[in-house]
Amino acid sequence: MTLYVVTGLVVGSVYAIATLGLVLTYSSTRVFNFAHGAIAYFLAVVFYELTVEHGWDGRVAGAATILVVSPLLGLALWAVLFRRLADTPPPVRLVSTIGLWVALPALTRIVFEGDRYERPSMVFDPPHQYRLLGVGVDSNQVAVVVAAAVIAVAMTILLRATPFGLAVRATVDAPRMAAVVGVNTSLVSAGAWMVGTTLAGVAGVLLGSYRGFDEVQFTFLVLGSFAAVVIARMHSLVLAFAGSILLGLVQELSKSTRVTDFLGGFVDSQSVWVRGLPASIPFLVMLVFLLAYRGLGRERFVVAAPAADDDDAPPTRAPAAWRRILPVVCCLAAVAVAPAFLSGLWEGIVAKGLALGIVFLSYTVVTGEGGMISLCQVTFAGLAASVTADLATNHGMDVLVAVPLAALAAVPIGLVAALPSLRLGDLYLALATLAFAVLVQNTFFELDWVANDGVGIAVPRPEGFGDDLPFYYLLVALFTVTAVVVRNLKRSTTGLELAATRSSEPATATIGVSVERTKLFAFGASAFLAGAGGGLYAVYGGFADPDQYDVLIGVVWLAVVVTWGVRSIAGALLAGLAFAVFPQLVTEHLSSTWRELPTVLFGLGAIGLAREPRGVVHQVVHGHRDRRRRRVERRAARAAVAAP
Amino acid sequence: MILEARDVTVRYGGLVALDGVSLAVPDRSIVGLIGPNGAGKTTFFGVLSGLVRPRAGTVALAGADVTRRSPQARARLGLARTFQRLELFGELTVREHVLLAHRQGRGSPFTRFARDLVGLGARTDPEEDAAVTSVLELFGLAAAADRPAAALGLGTGRLVELARAVATRPRVLLLDEPSSGLDARETAQLAEVLRRLRDDRDVALVLVEHDVEMVLSLARRVTVLDFGQVIAEGTPDEIRADAAVQAAYLGTTT
Ligand SMILES: Nc1ncnc2c1ncn2[C@@H]1O[C@H](COP(=O)(O)OP(=O)(O)O)[C@@H](O)[C@H]1O
Ligand SMILES: [Mg+2]
Repeated sequence: MTLYVVTGLVVGSVYAIATLGLVLTYSSTRVFNFAHGAIAYFLAVVFYELTVEHGWDGRVAGAATILVVSPLLGLALWAVLFRRLADTPPPVRLVSTIGLWVALPALTRIVFEGDRYERPSMVFDPPHQYRLLGVGVDSNQVAVVVAAAVIAVAMTILLRATPFGLAVRATVDAPRMAAVVGVNTSLVSAGAWMVGTTLAGVAGVLLGSYRGFDEVQFTFLVLGSFAAVVIARMHSLVLAFAGSILLGLVQELSKSTRVTDFLGGFVDSQSVWVRGLPASIPFLVMLVFLLAYRGLGRERFVVAAPAADDDDAPPTRAPAAWRRILPVVCCLAAVAVAPAFLSGLWEGIVAKGLALGIVFLSYTVVTGEGGMISLCQVTFAGLAASVTADLATNHGMDVLVAVPLAALAAVPIGLVAALPSLRLGDLYLALATLAFAVLVQNTFFELDWVANDGVGIAVPRPEGFGDDLPFYYLLVALFTVTAVVVRNLKRSTTGLELAATRSSEPATATIGVSVERTKLFAFGASAFLAGAGGGLYAVYGGFADPDQYDVLIGVVWLAVVVTWGVRSIAGALLAGLAFAVFPQLVTEHLSSTWRELPTVLFGLGAIGLAREPRGVVHQVVHGHRDRRRRRVERRAARAAVAAP
Repeated sequence: MILEARDVTVRYGGLVALDGVSLAVPDRSIVGLIGPNGAGKTTFFGVLSGLVRPRAGTVALAGADVTRRSPQARARLGLARTFQRLELFGELTVREHVLLAHRQGRGSPFTRFARDLVGLGARTDPEEDAAVTSVLELFGLAAAADRPAAALGLGTGRLVELARAVATRPRVLLLDEPSSGLDARETAQLAEVLRRLRDDRDVALVLVEHDVEMVLSLARRVTVLDFGQVIAEGTPDEIRADAAVQAAYLGTTT
């Protein structure tokens, strides 16, 4: 037991360091950095390279990483990304840092190849061993706890008792006023990002030396700190610290035999429900706190809407209907004639893209129309895929019946995932869907009948569509049908309600629309689409393999869709095709070093949204018109200035 | 009384934004609510419409206690409002604003959602068209009907907010500074439209205005707020003569 208390304190301290960085940057810039863990991982790898590969002394390498590389990285990221986010709408703000979360680890893998098995230590190498209350404690563990405590105190002083802290508070409360009274708001936000990134560096270096440099494990550990941020309601340093320590303790204690034995009284102690528990604790805790905070109402969490950017004003006339459906009609026509020109391999790749396109239409509904960022569409896809496979293979149901049934089953699950956080706002919904996705991945996807020794359950093709070409056209037809439904939704009363909700929730409610119900409709519909697409994706692949529906893959999906255009149906189709085609192109034409290149590009695309929130398709179709309008306006403005 | 608020108190941290404010609105009447900036008028509208939860006090709509009801429930019971800082739906056209408001409270949301998915949701029937057009014409918005709201000027935007509120067929309508951003001619037209709403459509109005003369000429009764408290209540003539109002408010503006 004592052993778990010690490790719990250490893990909690790492959480605390990561959490304090997140809280600092959020409370001073209103940007929640989903890439915090990715940044920590990158910096941990830098540290590893310096010590293990270049033979630097651990302390020198650690100091260089934390004191030099980290702040510089923070400054660079601020200059290219975070600086631009202040004036973007909240969904774009969320998606941009998610893009960084996608791009940075992939970039790390390209730049620093190979596996990292060693455990270089920053502080004491080798560590001193002590005995404390009957358990072994080493000096590096003590160092982690001390570091967390020192950082917590330093942060409190920084924010409460320095001119920087005062400037931060002024900037957050009223940026324009702060600028007027002479606060350099750029300096404040650059400073906040440098400190925040430095804390990511500390967390990365310490966590790496303590738990190793395995990327997946590392990522999910840092993701756990999001729970402490929720506990702190994004702001409170004290709650952030206390919540982190609590989280670490609970998480480690859940590994103790006393807990597993206790749980063993209810379920098989070797089952996933017990094995998956420790890794799931932060996400369970996050959902519990979201439920608890739900009653507090929304006011406390409201992210101030940014002032509208004049440059972004929509055109005075809505574009004609033909112009809006032109892109998707062209794309579908191209896809329909493509088999005549494609090899069997490439025909299969395009078919994969079509199935994914259906999944991606779920983002068109939930994010494009609903304005919500969901990180669990991949989970709906995976759940429905497994259910489809089970119904078809183990119960002999026709696949074309099993897919919609499984997709229907995803709907109530989607509603349960969205309901707790819907009222708390976009950011909390994103976090809740992330927590939900991780929980399903740690439990359901690990079940024996689902995982099936790592290959998943086999799925047959539907009767009469066994050959590749008929199956290809079946997917074309199904995508078209789904696209029509989504277009109906966009143009319907529900579509109007969703558009209204995106602009102004108070006004929408006061004309009699239940904002919550409208969003739930969108979320439910999107769960169905994700489920249907996920089922078809499994049919395409032949197996419902849960590894294909990993949370981190879902994050990449989101990045791809928003890059191509989350508001348009053509965007979803092109995103599906891109996700299928790019990796194949890279495999065929580049060396294996570049395997991660598509992921980097997808991430960069999402980051680019800070510049063009409406995506690539919009740029191509409407870009020239927007540019012309801006040119005309600029000329008019110049003329107005020139005139006396 | 179509709308009645009693002893409404709202606090923001240490600030008492409203301190035991009461207001009664008779059917088919215009009631004025005036007071200097920061007096709490907009906050009071928030409480009446359900967007701000009061610390204490009750709100009754057509005799039913709605203090704990949601904004959308109050809207369905016949309460509508406009916003001081425009809250338009930027991507929707003017007609869509009115159409959306008009469609609320008709039919079950579930059957409507099902219709929407199969493509029956975009249609309008002739009756609906006529209703929408009549609201647009009432506010002189027919010419701007197909323009997206984000492209409108402030004056037109105010009219769209009004049209949207009226399209919900309210029994009581809260107007938060409807004439700000309008010129003298538009203000005169607005006053005329408000009278017609009361007389032809049987709507009761609560009017928050910085244009005090407009309120005094339209309203049957006027309430004056200052620092979250009611400092005077009475007919326009009584308010004109009230010394406390002179000192706190009218005196400072003239
Ligand atoms: N959301 C809020 N948070 C904190 N203070 C607020 C909030 N809304 C209004 N206030 C304060 O409450 C007081 C009343 O504001 P308001 O109702 O807007 O007055 P009015 O509409 O009469 O000008 C003001 O002092 C204002 O600063
Ligand atoms: Mg006001």
